[in-house]
Amino acid sequence: MARVSGPALAILVAVPALAAGQVSVQGGVLVGRAEHCVVDGGELVASSGTLFGGALAVTIGERFQIQGEALGGGLTTAAAPSLEDHDLAEAQLVGGMHLRPWLTLQSGLSARNYSNALGRQHWTTWRIGAEARVPLGFESVAAVLRGYWMPVVGVSGLSRPDVALAVGVGLDWRGHRMSIGALYSLERYDFAPSNGAQRLEELSTFRVRIGMWWPPTGRAKGST
Amino acid sequence: MRHAVVAVLLLGVPGAAVAQGNTADQLEQAARYHAALDVERELVLLRRIISPNSPFVVTHDQRVLAYKYLGATLVVLGQRDSGIVYFRAALERDPFVDLEPQKFTPAELDAFGEARRLTFGLGIRAIPFDTIDPRTERLGFTVLTTHAADLRVELRSADAPAGVVLYQGITDGPRELRWDGLIADGHLAATGRYELLLSGVSQLTHRPDSIRLYFSIQQDHAPLEDTMAALRAEDLLPEQHPSTMARAELFKGMGIAAAALLIPRTVANGGLRGGGRSLAVVVAGTASLTGVAGFVFRQRHREIPTNIAANAERRARRATTNAAIRDRNQARLAQTRLIVAPAAGVGP
Repeated sequence: MARVSGPALAILVAVPALAAGQVSVQGGVLVGRAEHCVVDGGELVASSGTLFGGALAVTIGERFQIQGEALGGGLTTAAAPSLEDHDLAEAQLVGGMHLRPWLTLQSGLSARNYSNALGRQHWTTWRIGAEARVPLGFESVAAVLRGYWMPVVGVSGLSRPDVALAVGVGLDWRGHRMSIGALYSLERYDFAPSNGAQRLEELSTFRVRIGMWWPPTGRAKGST
Repeated sequence: MRHAVVAVLLLGVPGAAVAQGNTADQLEQAARYHAALDVERELVLLRRIISPNSPFVVTHDQRVLAYKYLGATLVVLGQRDSGIVYFRAALERDPFVDLEPQKFTPAELDAFGEARRLTFGLGIRAIPFDTIDPRTERLGFTVLTTHAADLRVELRSADAPAGVVLYQGITDGPRELRWDGLIADGHLAATGRYELLLSGVSQLTHRPDSIRLYFSIQQDHAPLEDTMAALRAEDLLPEQHPSTMARAELFKGMGIAAAALLIPRTVANGGLRGGGRSLAVVVAGTASLTGVAGFVFRQRHREIPTNIAANAERRARRATTNAAIRDRNQARLAQTRLIVAPAAGVGP
């Protein structure tokens, strides 16, 4: 049986939808705050900083969505510069399928780099999970709950973590042309103990996304 | 000997009856005698017909005819007053009775005219079974006064206090009236029982009289379509959120806030003492405010615009459908025909 590649499948899905005018696109900017905590060898290193980025989401028909995101920024450990300060750069591509109007099954890849003058650490993850949207009192406001399991995590210079989870909660407002979302997310990675020490790592972020719809009347599903 | 006489009589009577024939035959025979001026034999025959001892059934019409010929016979015999009495008896039973000028003498006609002047009566000719198209046809009535009278002819539903006046004025003799099938309000007569009421006052004797004729009308048209029933509550979408929804919105907002606060405490690794709690508090605060705002909003705005619009569309669709049905029914009703039939009833 011939294997169908991912891009080919996307094209197969997208072309009929494009022809039927069922595609909507959302583009936006991201501004966020990130906190990065690492315990390795009993020493806690916490850094935080502001992130900037952009997002693009394409909704195809009523069931499918592909969203990409790129953001980055500097994370500093304290008021004074130190060797632990580093930059974060991340790109993410997630595909989703709506199982219910309020529930979307999602899966995607992300690539992340932590870098400073001393070196660079590259992360590659594959995540699978779901996003639930709960309408709130206003017609256009919804709460967003996300949960992912990351079965495949590759970290340069480190073994694969035993625990790799990500959760998120936030709010999303969708107007006729614009949308604004705020999302708090937490990623937890627990590495296997080695030589009596265990590496624990977490990245928590708070992001605000301001986006625009095209066409204006179209409303994509879930893109915070 | 006595038995022999009885036997002869028993054998002889049927023979005589056969010879005399029934009432119709006797009347025909009387008419022939009258035409041949054999009034003596005619008189015997007619008196036998009107006698209470007549062995044959005498119908109302036959009795009227017998009185008519009897009156004429008596006039021929010179008994004009007696003849007028019988003419009046005939007129009282049937105001439509008349003498044909080609069959009766001027003296008979004159006596009959005198009888009509002395007798006041109103008459309506019976309505036959008939079907008319009110757009092009009319229903005819024949009414009559025995002499000049102030007559009023009114047609009305049997249970209506007033109807449509077909004629009002002085008339003498028969008069043809035509009815277009419309009642007083201009609508086509509905299915039901109707009466034609004649009331008049004699111009000669000032005697009042009245008579009425009952008949039934049935509207005949193509079957009408039923309109769509009124939308029931279960046919419509709820147009308002339940009153509990405002509280639910508050709980949802608080639930999201709680989830945001719990994540750094439960999912995060305690050894890191981090988890972005301050970041989670921002989301929790926003969710709480949204919940409170949603509570207030839902308290004030319980309507569901999409459902309201959908219901309005359903109502409009029903109204459009019913309007079309009504138009089609009107077109069918416009082609209604009236089936007229005599009905039972007794006038005063």
